[in-house]
Amino acid sequence: GSGGGNYSPGPGDPLLAKQKHHHRRAFEYISKALKIDEENEGHKELAIELYRKGIKELEDGIAVDCWSGRGDVWDRAQRLHDKMQTNLSMARDRLHFLASGRKLTIGTK
Amino acid sequence: DTVTTSVPQGDVDNLLQQVADEAGLELNMELPSGVQSTTIGASTQVSQEQDELTQRLARLRQAE
Repeated sequence: GSGGGNYSPGPGDPLLAKQKHHHRRAFEYISKALKIDEENEGHKELAIELYRKGIKELEDGIAVDCWSGRGDVWDRAQRLHDKMQTNLSMARDRLHFLASGRKLTIGTK
Repeated sequence: DTVTTSVPQGDVDNLLQQVADEAGLELNMELPSGVQSTTIGASTQVSQEQDELTQRLARLRQAE
């Protein structure tokens, strides 16, 4: 029958949904930044701005606690966490490279 | 050699049902709905997207 009660919706937990939300936004920002960066035809200021926004989303996504549950979805969330950590580090490096190369001020703390 | 005969569709259906019954199959069995595969697909998709970013960032770093 179609009215089965064993339907399991998406991430199933607000924390995991939050993590995924930040992943999604980070991916969109950094993808756009990479596209501009890869074309290598100026517009670096825009790439820098997009990297910064993507980095912020990665930070928010990494800050989400994904160790409070057990099971496949949490395992996957923890792997996603690790991957976002890697990309945060690499995106920061890239941002610094672009910013220093262009002698731009990028709101250093 | 091939013999083409015209068999009424109803007979074909009956025959299929008969064979299925003998084999213990459920002919009207629905294909797995999109629910399960979508959930799995979505979860691995996010991982792949992060992997893609990693690869592209790594390539840019090598090009420096």
